[in-house]
Amino acid sequence: MLSARQTAAFYDNSSLEGHELSARERESIMKPLLPEPPSNDSKSTVMLQERIHQRAESKRKERKKPIRTTLRHWLYMAFHTIIHIFFGIHIRIRKSIRAVKHRWSAVFNYHHRTPELIRKDMKNISKMPQHLSVALELNTQDDRQAAMATLVNDVGDLTSWCAASGISFLSVYEKTGVLKRTVPELHIAISQTLHRYFARENTPHLSIRVSSEPAYSPPTTPPNQPNAHSPFTITVLLLSADDGRSSMVDLAKVLAGMAQKGNLAPVDINADLIDAELTELVMDEPELLILFGPRVVLDGYPPWQVRLTEIFHLPDYTEGVSYSVFTQALNNYASAQKRFGT
Amino acid sequence: MKSSASFRKWVVQSPPVEFLLEHGSAAVKDVLLGALRHGPVPKHIAFVMDGNRRFARSKRQEVTEGHSAGFEALARILEICYKIGVKVVTVYAFSIENFKRSRSEVDNLMDMAKMRLGQLAQHGQLLDKYGAKIQLLGRREMIRPDVLETLDQAMELTRHNTKAVLNICAPYTSRDEMATAIQKTVVQYCQPLRPRLRRPFSETHIARQIEAGRIKSLERATSGMPESTRAMESTEEEDYVYKPSTPGTGAVYQDILQAVESLLDEAADENTATADEEVIAGATSSILVYLKDITLSQEEKLIEVRDILDFDLSDAQLQELQSLADKLTDYQTKTAVSESTTLGNNGEHANASPRPPLPPMYPDIENIDENTLTSHTYTGSDAPPLDLLIRTSGVERLSDFMLWQCHQTTEVRFVDCYWPEFGLWHFVPIILEWQWKQNKETSGASEN
Repeated sequence: MLSARQTAAFYDNSSLEGHELSARERESIMKPLLPEPPSNDSKSTVMLQERIHQRAESKRKERKKPIRTTLRHWLYMAFHTIIHIFFGIHIRIRKSIRAVKHRWSAVFNYHHRTPELIRKDMKNISKMPQHLSVALELNTQDDRQAAMATLVNDVGDLTSWCAASGISFLSVYEKTGVLKRTVPELHIAISQTLHRYFARENTPHLSIRVSSEPAYSPPTTPPNQPNAHSPFTITVLLLSADDGRSSMVDLAKVLAGMAQKGNLAPVDINADLIDAELTELVMDEPELLILFGPRVVLDGYPPWQVRLTEIFHLPDYTEGVSYSVFTQALNNYASAQKRFGT
Repeated sequence: MKSSASFRKWVVQSPPVEFLLEHGSAAVKDVLLGALRHGPVPKHIAFVMDGNRRFARSKRQEVTEGHSAGFEALARILEICYKIGVKVVTVYAFSIENFKRSRSEVDNLMDMAKMRLGQLAQHGQLLDKYGAKIQLLGRREMIRPDVLETLDQAMELTRHNTKAVLNICAPYTSRDEMATAIQKTVVQYCQPLRPRLRRPFSETHIARQIEAGRIKSLERATSGMPESTRAMESTEEEDYVYKPSTPGTGAVYQDILQAVESLLDEAADENTATADEEVIAGATSSILVYLKDITLSQEEKLIEVRDILDFDLSDAQLQELQSLADKLTDYQTKTAVSESTTLGNNGEHANASPRPPLPPMYPDIENIDENTLTSHTYTGSDAPPLDLLIRTSGVERLSDFMLWQCHQTTEVRFVDCYWPEFGLWHFVPIILEWQWKQNKETSGASEN
């Protein structure tokens, strides 16, 4: 250990006499704490002969104690295995405890498909995001139709929860883009879910958007007619991996084409221009992103827009979309906003 | 009570325990890191070193002390990373947004960076022990010049190291990085392709050969070849000399000639050589080539023009030349002209009316893909993909850091402690969990 005086000298970069430390003095202070300098110096300035000599010497050293090296290797391997056995047990215990907790909170936090109850849950949340984003996953292990049904169901529930909490913009990221291909069907399915939650006259108006295309709101059929004057419109934006890097590659192509024709000087390309284009074409920055997975892996989520987004996930959570995660995410968002005052 | 205290003293002072306490923690650490090394290890880790200021506030210290503690934490983590075999460590040192902080804090940070990196540079050997190379990612021109100098020294000293890389992101934001990557891609795709003049064979000649072969015998057909290739070469070597085509541009051209002459005279005072008319016209032509090249930035133009004149001209003088050059509306780019002239020369259409200048050939924009953009990011395409991104102080957002690199398979970890507190015992569980997941995935993959 260094003495307090030495530490102070090192931090202030001045010796006891007050003059600035030289490199040599600093090295002498730190010497006891440092490992030996490397034997195989890779600097080009080292003379070739010296290097050959060194290598021969280090080889001799290695040859001298092969048993020790092997033993050390075995020791490390053994430790690695032991540590991982214990760590595996630890993780499994942690996961089961958390799973119980998650179930518990799911039982206590249930919406009963009543917007009034959801509104009550949201009453204490001081700040709501304007734009909420969720990342969902198509369960590839299930049978495809069932997986698709779950996905559509989840989107319907999420839309209803958002509508009940007063969030007017929901973007749904699903990597493969299956949702994008069935917009009319999805519209019908979500509308039905909304009808199940809301009373007929309060059902919010739904509009589904796919990036770079006009919003889809079907020609209103007679049963929907009374909702035209509904006070609330919720927009659902469907995203896929194509809205991430690919959209930026497309933008780069267009810009390069313009520059080749002489319509644009490369110096005019800046973050503001790109931001304006991507906001227009894909979406604005979401304020909150909820991941319904056990870990934070963005899995292709649009990189440009995720810049300042608050990312919520529950560690080790594997139950899929649930109302309790939704409320926890919103609570967490509001308290984070309060803490950092942004 | 007293007996227990004396017992504890007796235990602590007993030789084996004393030995363990003195050397134990280091030995435990060594064994632990040695053991970690034997599993899969992330190749590339990024850190957002957040919470220095809040740490200082919680300890009632000056903000600067918080930053110093943060620097120590970084040194600690770097050692662990390199010991377990991480190849690239990227740290978020300074955001472009941080320039909005108080002037004194920015200055303090810069001073600290200068002092620490200065120390680092003076002890080049110490960095060598981990074989780590320092790289700076971000907008260099925003750094204070004196700090940049020490940074450059540190980078120069560690340039020969190849085992590991330390990327310092300062002043950096990811959006700026992505915008720059797109900009660089556009610049790359605006470089005209070299017209296919380099090949010594001419299509018309080959066609003529075939025709000749059909009609006449082989011996007589081969006679035309050397002459035609010589013609090709001569057009290739020829430099393009600009000639004004309208009276208006002629006047502008005279202005430019005069400007160049005065510049050359100024240069001559320094270099003691005089320029004649031919030299001036030649220099003007070559300057115009660069000034009219839209793919060059202002700085690149300045360098090229300086090269030609052999004179250290100022930005204002370049601006003046540029504004004059912009008035030349009938100027054609070099490649367009050389293409049209060569086509006219070696084709049979030599007597036909002059062709409109062909637009320069550019690379196909459809070849732009993710990898093109990746190769133009600050980390480049050589860096291994980002495996792990760790952010301290409990803030669960990316704050404009490594967005392009981390939005795919990277695992992001938010740790609930301030950066100066982040150490071995926070870091090891993260690595262990990563290894555990990795092992599970590989065993799952082998089962399938």
